[in-house]
Amino acid sequence: MMYKLVLMTIACIFVGDAAYPQENVPNLKDPTMIAAGHDLFLQKQCSRCHGEGGKGGINLARRALDPRGVFQAIADGRMGSGLRMPASRDVLTDEEIWKATAYVMSISQQPK
Amino acid sequence: MGKLILAASLGLTCLLSTATVALAEAPGTEDPNNWPQYNRTSNAWRYSPLDQINKDNVSKLSVAWIAQGGDITMGIQETPLAIDGVIYSITSGNRVAALDAKTGQEVWNYQPKLDPLTKKVLFSPYSRGVAVGDGKVFIGTVDGRGIALDQKTGKEIWQVQLTDFANCHGCNFTSPPVVAGDMLTFGSTAGELATQGKIFGVEAKSGKKVWEFNTIKDDPKSWPGTSGKYGGGGAWMPGTYDAETNTVFYGTGNPGKDFINEDRQGDNLYTDSIVALDPKTGNLKWYRQEIKQDVWDYDSAYEVLLFKKDGKDLIVHMNKSGYVFVLDKNDGSIENIWPVSDLKNFVKDIDKRTGELIGRVELPMNQETLICPSTFGGRSWNAGAYNPNTGLWYNNVLDFCGYLKPVAQKDDPKDYGTGHIGASDFGRLVMAPDGRKPGRLDARDPFTGERKWTHEMDMPGFAGVLTTGGGLVFNGDPTGILRAFDADTGKVLWSFNTGSGMRSGIISYAVAGEQYILVPSGWGSYAAILLPALFPQLEKMPAASTLIAFKLPK
Ligand code: HEC
Repeated sequence: MMYKLVLMTIACIFVGDAAYPQENVPNLKDPTMIAAGHDLFLQKQCSRCHGEGGKGGINLARRALDPRGVFQAIADGRMGSGLRMPASRDVLTDEEIWKATAYVMSISQQPK
Repeated sequence: MGKLILAASLGLTCLLSTATVALAEAPGTEDPNNWPQYNRTSNAWRYSPLDQINKDNVSKLSVAWIAQGGDITMGIQETPLAIDGVIYSITSGNRVAALDAKTGQEVWNYQPKLDPLTKKVLFSPYSRGVAVGDGKVFIGTVDGRGIALDQKTGKEIWQVQLTDFANCHGCNFTSPPVVAGDMLTFGSTAGELATQGKIFGVEAKSGKKVWEFNTIKDDPKSWPGTSGKYGGGGAWMPGTYDAETNTVFYGTGNPGKDFINEDRQGDNLYTDSIVALDPKTGNLKWYRQEIKQDVWDYDSAYEVLLFKKDGKDLIVHMNKSGYVFVLDKNDGSIENIWPVSDLKNFVKDIDKRTGELIGRVELPMNQETLICPSTFGGRSWNAGAYNPNTGLWYNNVLDFCGYLKPVAQKDDPKDYGTGHIGASDFGRLVMAPDGRKPGRLDARDPFTGERKWTHEMDMPGFAGVLTTGGGLVFNGDPTGILRAFDADTGKVLWSFNTGSGMRSGIISYAVAGEQYILVPSGWGSYAAILLPALFPQLEKMPAASTLIAFKLPK
């Protein structure tokens, strides 16, 4: 009985990892990546709606965000609360989206 | 226009009840029961002659019906139309609906399948209204099409792709076409998008495109080198059709690249201008540029009002800078220029006779310059209203500023989500340096600018104004408060909480002998994204897409 339960847990973890392979999330704490992300944030005018430091307009610094959610928001856009953020998939490469994600994570509230 | 509307109404006589309530016909006040086009009449006054609701009874207004527009993305930004007992409405995603004006019941609806690219472009998926004529309802879509629907059934009659949407940054429509005789004219978005904004002439019957007018003049003096390639311009608000002279007047958008004029050392025609076009041919009759070589994002897209005064035919037109241009309708020559606010520093002044910008403030690269008014303008695009009984023009005034900081930006015309702006934002918004309130509703003489009354606000207005034969002015604010004012004195006579902020056009109509005030409520648009930086209370403002109809209790 005990043995079976343990097995199931392992299977679950495995499924989770298979859906989102860990190695595809780059190191978002890398300062050069964060800096490149901020450049992109300005160049691609994320700042137009979020302010130069992510704290104007739609304030990102006050949100508790997780990296995959941020990646998806940038790639597919957001239509939350009646507002709209344009989608950037194919406009930005995945690598660029991760850079922007690294910057956004660096200014957002980290989950405890 | 008159003829087309008449033809349309004949088809609908079954829905007509003998109405109203008003008034002998005066010029510009025909069909008192109806609101048949964007600014109601071809003089663009946004004046309803209906007078059943008046100063004495407005406080008794109560809700007759409420209708929901579906998708709330970017709120509701339209001015609905009311023709012979039917409301024509367009909401997010270009969803069009016809509603029974007495009950709000939907008669039909229509929604085009939009190009998925609309998810990536900047100005989407909202629309400011529909147009009606020739028994059809016309829309311009956020993916660059013109579509005609049967006015009675909502069935599609024709559609035409007017822009090369997939390959052309910002080639879409956020406003309805103008019905100009048997032609339609559509103005494209452009402005700070990497494109050349066009106005299109289309046959109302068939949808056949007959002409294109390029708002970017092909002239190296106006646009040195390749600077005109992505010159912007466009015409993102509905123009005014004047049947008397068979002219359609459009205000055009700002030049690109926004905020940086280094490469475009010319006039940058025909951006920030009024253009007078022949709707049959698209030929330019005259133009008047209001802001030459603009670096402050001061579009001229706003409504073009027409007047007859002392034997003269005049145009009154507000530029986003907050300067009002009074022009001769026949050739665009200047009669007067006056500012809606003394809070302006982008120039010392504009010469009242020549229109020359005196003491313009340039924007040095990579540093912030305080510019008033902000890129939201001295007023937003939401129209004012003129009441012929008081002789006053009622406008929301925005009295706040922004720090503009031009920086080098790479051009990538495939980069749909990025504006053709030489900056990383539209300016950091700040309150006026002298500590004044950020907004007012002003009642002024449209020709001299002389002010009769003003109503100051902590939360400025971003919605269209309505004025009526009942001596009233209606105005809504971003927190959802709708107010009725005494048109003579500015006294607040009534207010109502609509539950979400207002960005659209309030109208009035009558059906079955009863006058209605129809109020779109639903916060959204770029204002909803950008204003919380200045007005934190807006951060939590819920969005919506609601039409609320008010009338007097029986
Ligand atoms: C046109 C305006 C606009 C632009 C441009 C824009 N955003 Fe957004 N963004 C929004 C809006 C609106 C929301 C919030 C919707 C909501 O309330 O959930 C948002 C939300 C977000 C979020 C939060 C998602 C979450 O899970 O809460 C992130 C992260 C973000 N944006 C990053 C970016 C980045 C990076 C860029 C540039 C590539 C960008 N945005 C460009 C408007 C914009």
